[in-house]
Amino acid sequence: MTPGSTSAACAALLRRDLTLAWRRRGDIAMPVLYALIVATLFPFALGPEPALLARIAGGVVFVTVLLAVLLSLDNLFRADIEDGSMEQLMLAPQPLALLVGMKILAHWITSSLPLIVVAPLLAGMLKLPAPATPVLVFALVLATPLLSLLGAVLVALTAGSRRSGMLLALMLLPLCVPVVIFAAGAVAAAQEGLPWIAPIAWLGAGLAMAVVLAPLACAAALRIAMDT
Amino acid sequence: MDNSRHDRNNRRMTFAPEPAPLLEARALAFLRQDEPVFGPLDFALRAGEVALVEGDNGSGKTTLMRVLTGMLRPGEGEVRLDGAAFSLDTMAGAVVFLGHHLGLKLDLSARENLRVSVGLYGQREGTSADAALAEVGLAGFEDEPVRRLSAGQKKRAALARLLLLPARVWLLDEPYANLDREGIALVNRLLEGHAGRGGAALVTSHGAVSFAGGEPRRIRLHA
Amino acid sequence: MANWVPLWLHRLGSPPVFYRFAGAVRPWALGLAIVLAGVALYGGLFVAPADYQQGDAYRIIFLHVPSAWMSLFIYGAMAVAAFVGLVWRIKIAEVVAMESAPVGAAFTFITLVTGSLWGKPMWGTWWTWDARLTSELVLLFIYLGVIGLYHSFEDRRQGARAASFLVLVGAVNVPIVHFSVNWWNTLHQGSTVRLLGPSHIETSMLWPLLTMMAATKLYYVASLFARVRADLIASEGGKGWVRELLAGRDGDAA
Repeated sequence: MTPGSTSAACAALLRRDLTLAWRRRGDIAMPVLYALIVATLFPFALGPEPALLARIAGGVVFVTVLLAVLLSLDNLFRADIEDGSMEQLMLAPQPLALLVGMKILAHWITSSLPLIVVAPLLAGMLKLPAPATPVLVFALVLATPLLSLLGAVLVALTAGSRRSGMLLALMLLPLCVPVVIFAAGAVAAAQEGLPWIAPIAWLGAGLAMAVVLAPLACAAALRIAMDT
Repeated sequence: MDNSRHDRNNRRMTFAPEPAPLLEARALAFLRQDEPVFGPLDFALRAGEVALVEGDNGSGKTTLMRVLTGMLRPGEGEVRLDGAAFSLDTMAGAVVFLGHHLGLKLDLSARENLRVSVGLYGQREGTSADAALAEVGLAGFEDEPVRRLSAGQKKRAALARLLLLPARVWLLDEPYANLDREGIALVNRLLEGHAGRGGAALVTSHGAVSFAGGEPRRIRLHA
Repeated sequence: MANWVPLWLHRLGSPPVFYRFAGAVRPWALGLAIVLAGVALYGGLFVAPADYQQGDAYRIIFLHVPSAWMSLFIYGAMAVAAFVGLVWRIKIAEVVAMESAPVGAAFTFITLVTGSLWGKPMWGTWWTWDARLTSELVLLFIYLGVIGLYHSFEDRRQGARAASFLVLVGAVNVPIVHFSVNWWNTLHQGSTVRLLGPSHIETSMLWPLLTMMAATKLYYVASLFARVRADLIASEGGKGWVRELLAGRDGDAA
């Protein structure tokens, strides 16, 4: 790879973000811990009856993961904007959308992948039937990058504004309604022994669209945010 | 309209063999809330030239720099780079910018920071990260996290990036801030070297700066 | 750059021209809206016969349906204005998009309230996760997000540009939400209650409905123009034309 080529730039940026995340690995644990705490609270609130928990387990895991991703999204571009790295990215000879895509990938690896790893544990705590667990993980593998991509567009839009986590939640909610519906729908269908491939296919279609469009939208939004 | 201008340029080039300026501003102005921040401004920087942008606080120096990098759209006029209209989409990377925020990751070492920049922008031939760091006086600090460096040393680490990248145009916003006398001399040395290699640089400063080698061009902005 | 934009539209894009134009149109639009709304209410509440199935309760559609229609219409208008503002950087388009949002949010809110008031006697519940109601709720969230984003910026223009972008993202999102909620509904509930029962509508019911639709449109225009005028005065405060305007006002008063 020659320095300055597109692949070298992507590799350099991915490596930078992963190194940074590794140097602060305590932060990686935070969303996982958060999801664990929220999922633990449900049995306390609803009672330990396994049938009831099994009924809601899929939905609870998705909402929990969604909130954890939302919490971690806030810092996606902020650090880069504050220390001037974003200016360096914008002026680099590579398309900004591609570099932003790399940042989103690094963010997904460091924040969503750990959540996917602990998801079976959460599902087990909530008595999700074992046959539905692989479907849950599969749905999460498709749903979490979709959430990261959609969230990244919104984070880019709020990047130039005053800090506001609630605003991000308000803006993300309408966008993630379909994601939650299809992801939780797949698990519910699997639990009832129905075919679950259709909602998974919709999620996959959404992900394919988002992988192409979201980085472009993100780059455009960042240019608006840096336009000060 | 663009074509005719192009033709005129070509004709001018055939009559006068002088190459197009590296960086050129034509009637450049920036408006915020429809109020002019600076300009209209005309200047041309040729290869080997260093120009100093002077002006008080609030006279639009930083804004000018951001317009020249392409991050801000000019309200009026245009920026030309190497004789062609500048746009961030096609010409990015031709310019290297050093702003108030240095663009260094505090958790990475100076060497790692430089490696990221080289990955993004490419590397000028015959340079190495260690040599660049030594030249800016950071020998022995290569693997120290930038967080532990002093403000002046951070600035030096950012300056080392200028040496490594292949861009011919440097846009330096307040490079002298946070630097001691020796640091100021270092910036001047870097600028001279860059000009000697056929590059051009635009430097802002709100204070008086003494260049070692001759008086630089001065572009004055009024508040 | 935008040579092909019709000249009159270009001229209207200048804040002082638009300010005067909006000021001239607004009283007429508002007056006509009030008259039409009065006629429509009279027609709807007194002239139109009671529904053979729903009795008098159905009469809320004379508010509910025009509001629902406006909630989508205003979103469409806002999306067009946002697109024009983003692409051609026309300030008026940005202001129109941003000032449409509160009006649209109000209509969406009215739709939700009247819908649930209607739902109580019809379905026996204030709220049901019907595809239309849910989409309308999501639409309200998008409106609120746009308003929130616009006001979270120090620089109004930057806020307008960011929020305009969100408007366009939302325009893509609303149909997807509607589709997904529909899918979800069939999965969870089997059959759902349809909102508009009668497929065949009496003429005496139809004309008040259409009159009310015209009234809500005119009200939107009047309300939007008033808001845009206020926004322009605020954002162009230091400009010559605003100073002249205020000086003229003072002169008249004195």
